[in-house]
Amino acid sequence: MNGEETLILHGVEQALLALMILIIMFGMGAGLTMADFRSVARRWRLVAIGFGSQFALMPLLAYSLARVLRLEPAHAIALILIGTLPGGSTSNMFTYFARGSVALSISMTTASTMAALVMMPLLLQLYTPRFVAELTAHHLAGPDHEFVIPTVNIIVSLALVLVPVAAGMWLRHRSRGWAKAAEDTASFMAISVIVFLISSTVIRHFPLLLATAPKVYLAAITVGMFGFLFGFVVSRCFGVYPIHQRAIALETGIQNGPIAFAIILLSFPGAALKNEMLWLGILYSTFIVATASGFTLWLRRWGKHDWEITKNARVHQRLFGPDYVTRYPAGFVPPRIQADPAQGEGDVKSRG
Amino acid sequence: MLSDMEGNPILTARHLPEMYRLCAEHFGGLPAFATRLSADSWLPLSFRDLYARGAKVAGGLMALGVQPGDAIGLISNNRVEWMLAEVGIQLCGAVNTPRGTDVTDEEWRYIFRHAQVKVAFAETPRELERLNRLRPEWPALRDVVLLTGDVPPGNTALTLEALGAMGATYLAAHPGACAHREAALAPTAIFTLIYTSGTTGQPKGVMLTHANMMSQIKQVPLELDCTDRVLSILPIWHVFERMFEVYTMSRGVCTYYTSRRMLATDLQEVEPTFMGSAPRLWESLHDRIVHTIRQAHPVRRALFHIAYHLSRWYRASLTFLRGETPTPPPSRRGYRWALLGAHALRWAVLLPGYGFFNAAVLEAVRLKAGGCLKATISGGGALPPVIDEFFTNIGITVLEGYGLTETSPVLAVRVEGKRVRGTVGPVIPGTEMRIVDVDSGQVRYPPPPDAYASTEANGIGIKGEIQVRGPQVMKGYYKEPALTRTVLSEEGWFRTGDLGAVTWNGCLRILGRCKSTIVLRNGENVEPEPIEARLGLCTHVEHVAVVGQDCKHLYALVVPDFEQFKKEGHPAHNRAALSRDPQAHRVVFDEIRASQANHQSAGRPQAIHAIHLLAEPFTPGEELTNLFKLKRHVIETKYRAELATLFAGAPGHRRSHQERA
Repeated sequence: MNGEETLILHGVEQALLALMILIIMFGMGAGLTMADFRSVARRWRLVAIGFGSQFALMPLLAYSLARVLRLEPAHAIALILIGTLPGGSTSNMFTYFARGSVALSISMTTASTMAALVMMPLLLQLYTPRFVAELTAHHLAGPDHEFVIPTVNIIVSLALVLVPVAAGMWLRHRSRGWAKAAEDTASFMAISVIVFLISSTVIRHFPLLLATAPKVYLAAITVGMFGFLFGFVVSRCFGVYPIHQRAIALETGIQNGPIAFAIILLSFPGAALKNEMLWLGILYSTFIVATASGFTLWLRRWGKHDWEITKNARVHQRLFGPDYVTRYPAGFVPPRIQADPAQGEGDVKSRG
Repeated sequence: MLSDMEGNPILTARHLPEMYRLCAEHFGGLPAFATRLSADSWLPLSFRDLYARGAKVAGGLMALGVQPGDAIGLISNNRVEWMLAEVGIQLCGAVNTPRGTDVTDEEWRYIFRHAQVKVAFAETPRELERLNRLRPEWPALRDVVLLTGDVPPGNTALTLEALGAMGATYLAAHPGACAHREAALAPTAIFTLIYTSGTTGQPKGVMLTHANMMSQIKQVPLELDCTDRVLSILPIWHVFERMFEVYTMSRGVCTYYTSRRMLATDLQEVEPTFMGSAPRLWESLHDRIVHTIRQAHPVRRALFHIAYHLSRWYRASLTFLRGETPTPPPSRRGYRWALLGAHALRWAVLLPGYGFFNAAVLEAVRLKAGGCLKATISGGGALPPVIDEFFTNIGITVLEGYGLTETSPVLAVRVEGKRVRGTVGPVIPGTEMRIVDVDSGQVRYPPPPDAYASTEANGIGIKGEIQVRGPQVMKGYYKEPALTRTVLSEEGWFRTGDLGAVTWNGCLRILGRCKSTIVLRNGENVEPEPIEARLGLCTHVEHVAVVGQDCKHLYALVVPDFEQFKKEGHPAHNRAALSRDPQAHRVVFDEIRASQANHQSAGRPQAIHAIHLLAEPFTPGEELTNLFKLKRHVIETKYRAELATLFAGAPGHRRSHQERA
């Protein structure tokens, strides 16, 4: 490998990617209100559990995977980068279908996106030195370069990514209708662009698909799955209600992939290094959709009874008055949600 | 106590009073029914309160001297007070004789006289006034109770509250009166007399027993528990709604009363998980959704179409793979495996796209119906296949069922694994069904034990009259033993009057009527013979057959009187030319209209909406029996094309989804 290698994403694709990031982040902003920020404060305990799960658990998982699988340094750094990413609006959609708390999911996305500005550089500094040293030893960043994590560049990239979010929020503040349209358009555009990008890259670099070591696939697939699993287990250990467990689990595993692409393209040096990192990002983004769908279906089935109890109690409270208590026959409500059948939260956003 | 597949309790009882008591004991404070007060504000009535208030009504009825077995009239539309009256009547051991407020004076007069109603409930002062007008004809009627509103001055009627207060006093003086009546009540006792509507001929009082109802509670395979919300829109006196209210109660489900006008709002507010209704409601819901989509932004519309068709293909393959197609897969093995492979491939290819569009687009459409519907049930008429397909494809399960008032009502319903479109699913457990040849009277399905196993002899796909035997079959028509004998054999087989066949995967397909009664889409029963007899008198009509099963209107196939036209100097030189002549069509149609206009006095007039002229006269052995009665099933088959044009040409008739959307 040498520094003159061309990027696996060509010019048009890069432009599309940039556009997609812009649109996604704008759409994410257009869906946010001040109320979402306030509810972060109101739900601080749950958000804190989610925060810990995202910024303590997930990077540690990524690091451990990289060590256990003995990944190449570039892949390892990319994996850790993915582990440190904040949550994206995709997780909100999956949470809706998994019948988790969409409100909590939005709160966690909001909190982690803001916190990423500080947390990501810190966590990268914490977990990557070992791989950075390997990288320097292999002269991947250039012949006579000593490779360092481009902290300043990363912060700048993150800040740049947050600009469209702010613009989206401004639009939401000005016009609700337009913001709604922007939010809807964003999700569709994002999906179509991501499908196009993934298929075009995979088709153009089909040999790469075959040349990629199995352990890289394993890492790209399992990092999300471990995120779901540990997010779920940890939130259960903290004794939160099932709808919140579902939201935290999904939020932990599903990362804001586009931010990873932006950071890699804008901050890291050398085409070869960028390629290796991008490749892992592409693999993660592809497989996370499948694993998240599978996990969501499982949560839906597993949490059916809990959800029906919660939903019914909420409809009762909405129709019969906020003080109405739904009392089921003995033994009907499982102990895990017995303390509060309505699970205390009536402000789940309805979609559509 | 039984339990369902998920281990939730299903209450079973010997009769309704015991069931109502068990519900109150088991579900206590859970809401049983709810009525709308204003936007996002509903009033619940708990199982416990329902029983307590119902018991007071029962006490009041006992104080009025109502004995077990006495007929109690109940003229009201859907409302919580209806249920209070019902519980009261049942705890008394009396017989509920209900009808909606749309009952005609003529029917009302007949029903109350025929059933010898002792006490009557009227919904509003309006019904009270109508009742007072008719009252002289009912010597047996002693007391009248008003369900809601104020009793006009000078009227002796009681309000429901006054009756309840009387009951409280009575029960205080006679503790254990309800328990005593409950203990004395036999499961074979009649709990209701449902008079089926008809425009001609007298209404028939269907006697249903407690055992009939309890068998339905046990056998109808639906999955409901106390977290479900049911939106009620069918007329409450309709047998399906009647059964379903008790069915939902036995599972602890809350029923929310809505109306046609408020349906769209209530779907959003209640977010129902289950709904039962007649085909007409699904049609109007379908029209509403299609309308919204047509109004939507072109991009959204395009997205909907992509999503819809992805789902259609995906589900078509899934249906094939699950063996839920109405027709069997090809018998040649190579072809069958090729088709299986092709469907498996298509299923796998479409899965990701379907998954995405289902989540992103179809979910938004489903939210228009509240977003929580697990399944819906349609009964009381054939569900148009287009509607059925539309709801299935947008991801709302429609379970089509089949039954009659005489069978309390459910005989068959689609269940998981047997959701075969175009059929009404398999016969429910505990019910026997056979298909009997209309002309020869031979049993074709199940095949006789000595039959060899060819397709012909195994009875699959053979058309014949559906006959059933089971715990839900009525006791008989009230005070009509002769009429009862015509439909109910000594061995307990009930003749449904419907034609059907069994599919290769064990589902029942309804193929028309062999009884002459036409059931219009709104559920109204029409006897065609008197209409035909009247129209047969028209000078330009030689033969006429009135049709319209499952349609909005009645239609007629007419053989014009060729001789008469020739006498009048019509230029047509043969029958075929005459049948195509627009002027002749007009002459015949005008005469039919005029003839009907002269006979408006008899109940509601059933106007013929459109006619079709036939070239060939009906002949004995073909369209006619040797006694010159119409063979309706032959006519329906022979003139299928003509009927299709006739129905399609009529305004307001359904076209396919693709054309409309």
